[in-house]
Parts: sequence; C-alpha cells; structure tokens
Amino acid sequence: MAMTEDALPTAREAKKKEAYFTASQYQLVWARFRKNRSALIAGSILMFFILIAVFAEFVAPYEPTKAGFDRSYLNGPPQLPLFWDDNGFSLRPFVYTYKQKRDENFHLIFDVKKELDQRRYLEFFVEGWEYHLINTYVDLPGEGLDFRLTVLPMNRHLFGVDKGKVHLFGTDRQKKDLFSRVVFAIRISLSIGAIGVFIAFVLALAIGGTAGYYGGWTDRITQMITDAVRVVPTIPLFMAMAAFVPAEWSSEARFFFISMILGLVGWPTLARRIRTHILAERSQDYILASHLCGARPSHIIRRHLLPSFTSYIIVDLVISFPYMVLSETALSFVGLGLKDPVNSLGVLLQNVTDVDVMLNYQWYFIPLPIFVVIVMSFVFVGDGLRDAADPYTVHK
Amino acid sequence: MGPMLRFIAVRFGLALVTLFMVSFIVFGLMELVPGNCAQRYVAYKSTQGGGTITQADIRAEEERMGLDRPFMVRWLSWTYNMVATGYLGESCLKRVSVNQILKDKIWISMGICFAALFIAYLIAIPLGMLSSTMRNSAMDGSLRFISYLGLALPDFLVALIVMLIGTMVFGETLTGLFSEAYRDAPWSIAKLGDFLRHAWFPAFILGWSSTALQLQTVRALMSDEIEKLYVTAARARGLSGAKLFFRYPARHALGPLVNSIGFDLNRIFNGLPIVATILVLSEAGFVLLEALAISNDQEVAGAIIFLLTVAIVVLNFASDVVLAILDPRIRLGVV
Repeated sequence: MAMTEDALPTAREAKKKEAYFTASQYQLVWARFRKNRSALIAGSILMFFILIAVFAEFVAPYEPTKAGFDRSYLNGPPQLPLFWDDNGFSLRPFVYTYKQKRDENFHLIFDVKKELDQRRYLEFFVEGWEYHLINTYVDLPGEGLDFRLTVLPMNRHLFGVDKGKVHLFGTDRQKKDLFSRVVFAIRISLSIGAIGVFIAFVLALAIGGTAGYYGGWTDRITQMITDAVRVVPTIPLFMAMAAFVPAEWSSEARFFFISMILGLVGWPTLARRIRTHILAERSQDYILASHLCGARPSHIIRRHLLPSFTSYIIVDLVISFPYMVLSETALSFVGLGLKDPVNSLGVLLQNVTDVDVMLNYQWYFIPLPIFVVIVMSFVFVGDGLRDAADPYTVHK
Repeated sequence: MGPMLRFIAVRFGLALVTLFMVSFIVFGLMELVPGNCAQRYVAYKSTQGGGTITQADIRAEEERMGLDRPFMVRWLSWTYNMVATGYLGESCLKRVSVNQILKDKIWISMGICFAALFIAYLIAIPLGMLSSTMRNSAMDGSLRFISYLGLALPDFLVALIVMLIGTMVFGETLTGLFSEAYRDAPWSIAKLGDFLRHAWFPAFILGWSSTALQLQTVRALMSDEIEKLYVTAARARGLSGAKLFFRYPARHALGPLVNSIGFDLNRIFNGLPIVATILVLSEAGFVLLEALAISNDQEVAGAIIFLLTVAIVVLNFASDVVLAILDPRIRLGVV
C-alpha cells in the first residue's frame, strides 16, 4: 500500500515535469506571467479598460459630444450613487436630486442644492440614445478613401436613472456628461496608441530588420540615422509636425494624422532592439543552413528570424504603448493634437489650468487618475511580460 | 595619451555627423510644412494692415528671404549660419531675427533644464545607493512603484496636480519665473536670486521623471555590484562600512549612469514646452509652443528644436569623454 501512495505523487510530478518539457513557448511564458501577482492585477485592470473602450457606446449613458444635454445642469458636480443614507437602506443604488440655481447676484457661478429626500434610483440596461454596435467611420482627406460601416443598431445602455439624468462624474461647461466623455476618451486614447504602435512597429521591423540582417555598412549607416532621429526631443518634434495640420481637416482625419506621426517618430527605439536581436541571431547555424538551401533574405527574416523572438517583440510593443498614449495626451493637452468633438484624455484635460476650474470644479481632474491607472497597468503588464518572456529569469 | 585623443576625435566626428543629420531632419520638416515663410509673412501683414495679397508680393518676399534658392543651398546655409555664426535665421512673421525673439530665453531654458538634470541626479544617486544597502522587499516594491509612476505620471501631470493642490489649499499658484518687480529688470545679482527662488520648482517638476527612473536604476546597478565576489573579498580583507562601499562597488556601478545623462536631458526637454505653459514660464519652451500653436512660425520652431538637440548632442559627447576618462576599457575600445 505504502508503495502506491508514494508512487502517486511521483507520477503526478512526472506528469507535471512532462507538461513542462513539452510546453510550447507561450505556455511557458503564461505560466511564468501568472506567478507575477502585480502584473496579473494590472492585466485585469487593463482588460477592464479595454472592454470599456470596445463597448463605449453601451457603457456611456449619454452622447459624449452633445452639448447642453442636461439643460439644468451646468458645471454640475459629480453625483455619487449610494446604497444607504439617513433615510434608510436600499438595495438599488440611488442618487439625490440636484437643483441648480443662479445665485442672487446673478453671477455665473451656480449654486447646486442637493435634495436629500428626493431619491432617484439607478436602473440597468435601460433604453437611451441610438448607436450601432459596429460603427467604423473613416473620413480621410479626399473622397475615395471614405469608408463607413454601421451595423447592429442598438439603444440599450448599461445604466440610467428613473427620473432625469445621472452624471456620475458631473458635467462640464457645455453641460456635457463627463462620465460619457471619459469613456469615449479611453477608447480614443487606446486606439491612437494602438495605431501608433502598429506603424512604429512596421517601420522598426523594416529598418531594424534590414540593418540587423545585412550588418556591416548598411547597419552602420542605419544606426547613424536611427541615432540622429532618437536624439531629437520627441515631443517638440511631434508638436512641430502636428502644428501644421490644416485647420479645415475633419477631426477623424486629424486623429489618423496624429497617430501616424506618433508612429513615424516612435520607431527608433523599437528598430534598435529588433536590430540587436537579429544581429545576435543571424550568425546561428540554422540560418546558415537556410542560406545554403538557397533561401532569400526576406524568407529567412520572415520564417526563421522573426519567430525566434516574437515574444520579445510583443513585450516591446506593450512597453512602447504607454509612450504613445502619453505623447498623444501631451499633444492634445496643449491643443496641438485632437480637437473637441473627438475626446481623448488629453482633450479632457485641456481646460483644467483655469483658476476657476481649480477652485470650483475640481471634477474636471477626474480623467487624470484614470489616465495614470491605464498607463501604470500597461507598464506593469509590460514589465511582467518581459520577465516572463526571458527564459533565463531566476526564480527565487 | 594616444588612444584617448583618438577616442575624442572619433567621438567628435560622430557628434558632428549626428548634428548634420539632425539639421537635415529639422530643416526638411520645416520645408514639408504647407505654405512657406513668404506666404505666411504676406498673409500676416495683410491681416495687420489690410490690403490684398498678390502673387507678386509673395514672389518679392520669397526673393528677399532667399526662398528661391534650391533646397540644398538653403539647408546648408541655414546649418552653417547656426553652427558657425550663431545666427538662427529670421522669424517668418516679424522681420526680426530669431536671436532677437529668443534673447536670453534660451539660456534661461537651458539653465532650468540643466538644473532639473542636476536635481534629478542629486536626489536619485544618494537615495538609490542608500536603498540598495537596505535589502527588503517592501523597499524594492515601493521603489519599483515610484519608477513606474515616473513613467505614468509625466511632468506636466505632476505640475497640474501640484497646481491644483496649491490653489485649493494655499491659494497660491506657484507659477512664473520671476516676481513682479524683476520681470523686466535687467540681469543683476538680485534678479538672479529672485530667479533661483522661483526656478527650483519648475526644475524639480521637469526632473521628476528622470529622478523616479534613475532611482530604480541606481538601486539595481548597486545591488548587482554589491553581490560580486570582489566586494566579498574586500570584506574578507577587513574593509567595512562606507570605506568598502565607496571604494569598490560605488565606483563601478555608477559608470553606466554617465551614459544615460543625454537621455535624461532629452526627457526633460520633452516636458519643457508643456510644463512651461502650465507654470506660465516665459522661456524658450513657451516661445516654441507659441511659434507652433499660435503663429505657425516655422523658422522659430525649427531653430529652437535644433538648439535643444545641439544641447543633447554636446552633452552626449561630453559624457562619452568623461566615461572614457573614468573607464580605460572604453577609450581603448575593448567594450
């Protein structure tokens, strides 16, 4: 009996060992990543924000671009949903009724009064403004490139309120709902980062790949150019490029142009890393073997060199993502990036330097912590992935 | 001295090549901008004084500005003027040189940025070294968090938060570089003092990201070095405490830091124009932003970007030389 009891764990262990030895690289990376608690938490936060970005229309209770949405609520403070107060407990969260009055001297500052006994209850999956679940709209300068795809009309929203309107994050000076704006801003900021990273990645792959593969003079000259681009401070360079976007361009065209220049300026760091990887890898025997079989350089790069460090490239992409988001925020913040109907986190922060805002309407700052959390989780995930992708990490 | 001189000469040549290429990038960018300087000037003048724009006006202005010369000629003369004579070109909108628009502002900016660099290293090196001697995971975790925060919370957001708190709690905005009395006064000791009283704050904000990131780097470098065998050997010979610490690991660990100075200056320049608008600093970063966002003055913008890049290239060259002096392996080309 004792024998079998002993044998059982060893058998399980052997199985575990076998699973380890036969695991694909991605399984190994995932196993290592899972052990990193902070990266895992950051990853789930990131997923949460990505989901919000994808289903922005559903999550946002009101249209973010519609000014004067709630006529009686200008620069209104956030309305906090509660479960209980002095008047008792309620399973369904509620907000108070807010009444806004001009003060006696007819100043522009509004007095907001909370009616504590007038509860308004939150409702979920309510009907609201119409939207399309899939809505792709591209409007580039020129007629031929316009493209519109809208299917699946819907009007359900995650939440609403039984009477009037609810403004979780308050409203701004145009009576727009700040919560809805933030939700859409997350989408724009994330997608601008994604496009920027993609363009930077393609450029980096072409330039870094060529330099690393051919080596010698090609490499030296490419490195010189890369270094020259890298040494120019990026944000002033971005600004110089963004400042001269013609004013008559549509906000969508602006959006694409801004993400394009983010990519055009952002490639050198990535290119350098790709070049280093390829340079180290190209003198390996299996590359020589492929050479001798008569494979073309593009084939060798694509089929042999790139797969050898895909995981590193993914890590690099995740790490360079926050830089793109940051640059866009910086650009939009000073008014050179995106403009008003398109919301991004930088656009939302445009007006906050006003003393009036700082003294009276501090909820304009709500996008800031959200932005920091998003970038932070990107950095944590990137770092966790980097550790996980490195087979030589020592586990203590 | 032979290898040292050769090293310096090679690095100097490389720096020149980099500058040459940077000037091409910046000048090429200015050329790509829709509408040239002459059109901008004539358009601006007509908004000021009225009158209609004719093609002949623009032609005449182009000739006066020398815009009818081929691209290569203009680029080379632009670069030559910048590097050899210090003439930064002429503003598009006002018929004055960029030098006159910038005046001492570029020096004020450089002063703030280098102060920011200095403050960043002044905080990061001692703190990072100190924390590397304390081995516990709480310290590790919080330092890692701070360094991530340095990335996630760029300087202009820090400036915003500090302004918000300042306005709400103290009713003071902490903005500007000079107090009322000194703003337009000529430079004097008193003005310099006033400047320093105000400038530490923007300098700290600008250096914040570098501080946070270097803190982590210093700690990592030191922790790696402390574990090496030669440190154990030194301890076995009876060395201990500060003597051991500064004589052995510190000297080796801090070498690579010299390399990153150029990158940190780059990082600081990145924040400069935006922090300048938030904190209402009247220096070159602000002029750059104004040239771009308000007046679309490509000559001013190009000149400022080029000057910032020159500062980085010069600093990179200097740090290479310093590193070569410190580390014989580098000047002999071993590493």
